[in-house]
Amino acid sequence: MMTNNKNIQIQKIFSQSEVYLLLIIIIYSVFVAFLNPSFLSLGNLFNLSKSSASMGILAIGVFVVLLSGGIDISFTAIAISGEYIAVNVLLASGVDNIFFAFLISCLVGVSLGAINGLLVSYFKIPTLIATLGTLNIFHGLLLTVVGTKAINSAQLPDCFKAFGATNVFTLTGSDGVRYGLSVFTVMFIVIALLTWLILKYTMLGRGIYAIGGDVEAAERAGLNVSRIKFFVYCYAGILAGIAGIIHVSLIRYSNPTYLVGTELSVIAPVVLGGTRITGGVGTVIGTILGVAIITLLNNSLILIGLSSFWQEFFTGLIVAISVSLSSYQSRKSMGI
Amino acid sequence: MVGAFVVMSVFLPGKFLTLSNFQSMSSQIPEFGLLAIAIMLAMLTGGIDLSVISIANLAGVGAALILTGSLFPQLGGGYGEILVIIVAILFALVISLLCGLVNGFLIAYIEAPAILATLGTMSIFSGIAIVITRGYGITGFPESFLFIGNGTIFSIPMPLIIFIFCVLIMALILNKTSFGFNLYMLGSNPIASRFSGINNRGILVRTYMLSGFYAGLASIIMISRVNSIRPGYGSAYLLQAILVCVLGGVDPSGGYGNISGLVIGIIMLQILQSGFNILAFSPFSKNVIWGLMLILVMVLNFYSSSFSKRPKKLKIQ
Repeated sequence: MMTNNKNIQIQKIFSQSEVYLLLIIIIYSVFVAFLNPSFLSLGNLFNLSKSSASMGILAIGVFVVLLSGGIDISFTAIAISGEYIAVNVLLASGVDNIFFAFLISCLVGVSLGAINGLLVSYFKIPTLIATLGTLNIFHGLLLTVVGTKAINSAQLPDCFKAFGATNVFTLTGSDGVRYGLSVFTVMFIVIALLTWLILKYTMLGRGIYAIGGDVEAAERAGLNVSRIKFFVYCYAGILAGIAGIIHVSLIRYSNPTYLVGTELSVIAPVVLGGTRITGGVGTVIGTILGVAIITLLNNSLILIGLSSFWQEFFTGLIVAISVSLSSYQSRKSMGI
Repeated sequence: MVGAFVVMSVFLPGKFLTLSNFQSMSSQIPEFGLLAIAIMLAMLTGGIDLSVISIANLAGVGAALILTGSLFPQLGGGYGEILVIIVAILFALVISLLCGLVNGFLIAYIEAPAILATLGTMSIFSGIAIVITRGYGITGFPESFLFIGNGTIFSIPMPLIIFIFCVLIMALILNKTSFGFNLYMLGSNPIASRFSGINNRGILVRTYMLSGFYAGLASIIMISRVNSIRPGYGSAYLLQAILVCVLGGVDPSGGYGNISGLVIGIIMLQILQSGFNILAFSPFSKNVIWGLMLILVMVLNFYSSSFSKRPKKLKIQ
């Protein structure tokens, strides 16, 4: 009896895609560490987590949208709009405060997200078409109205550079090199935790899972589907705004043509993390692990000796394979 | 469409109503027209094909490699230019059919959602094109190949003739064959079509292959018109092609839409496009307008469908 229970438990653990992702990460890390021992140093891991934070925050936004059964491809345009407008407002007003920048970027993000939400929840436009339209509207308006001029590191307000260099704590390695846990990583973790709490413990979060699973059933159960969908797109907008500021603080350069066109590299980790585009299935942990795998892959392609030309090919391959796997799994679980 | 035509003619009489403008318009229509047909096919089944432009790019690169003699250089030596061109075109079409087969397999047999499957293959196909060309363009095709994209017969541009031919074929396929009938059935209700004995998977695979084939045709016209191919070329066509489908009355959830509506949508978009070119709009502001139009049409569709559905609801009650 005991062994039987244990078997079921083990089976349950291995039926979760997160376990496989974790295994892949561990095996892959050991492999890379074997080739290059400095890979597993705390400094390198901190660095990787710092540079992937902005992608991770965008991915969590996309994750919530996918969970509700939709798709958002306008988030890159929202992120770059929030970031570029914030930088320009700060430059014009002379206020040099990172919180002000976050405020502006999030305001832009939430209002653009609200437009998406309105189109999807009220006008019931298919999400892909709605966000494809808004992607072009947002980005086009940004370039025509706000401008196309890139702002380089020297012109960029100091608060961004200071924010980019902020560490929560700093350690000094045995070789005297100082490294620390970036505030970006902490923000990513906080946002991931917050999203997990919303999804797990609030009526709203359960509603997102419910409408992703079956809209009709959710509506009959008394959930306000339009309001939940509206919230989902606003939330993705806010996260895009935050990610935009982190992105500019990381690269210390504000170019309004950046980010747009990299949608797939953010959607890839979400899908890889086991989130189903048909909605209702997926976890925050899976998304984080997906982000980790994509970051590892991108960073080690050059290490393996493949040029950056291959990056797009591999991103596509990962999406195609993980979509196929999750579709196959869902069919198997339904017994068809 | 008539409205757009009249507005453009009234405001820009000297520039809009000229033969050269109509000729340039009709040589631009075929490229994204064929891509729009490719996307329409996928939309009719209730899916979408985001990879058409990548397929066109990859097929174009394949054709370009043969045309410039990088692949099978022995062809050019003994057999002459015409054979090289024919082989190149066939090669491009075979590539596009294979790409379509991959899409169809993922969507029909693995049952992957069409949006994500084609989003993934979009990256794969254009990734392969980038790896082959190392990101550079390929230029310099044989003179007689350029006739496909630039030549005229009785001052009718060659691409337009090809396009009309392709449209007629597609109209025949959709309206007169059992495949076309089954395609519409599948799009409006896949479960019902399965229970009425239609091989859903077979139809889906053939649909995506046909979609890939039309993307391949578009790529031949495209590379011949501009005498070069570069990965990423024509990426702006995706928004336009989807816009044309929606303008032409194709229902993105499947089952509804016909080729004549699509053609009207294509002509309307092209009239606006060339009007904007004459007015020297920036590409960014054009994107804003296309995006706005896409949303606006969808919103109008929402209102018209909610009005037409209302009486039915009353009857049920």
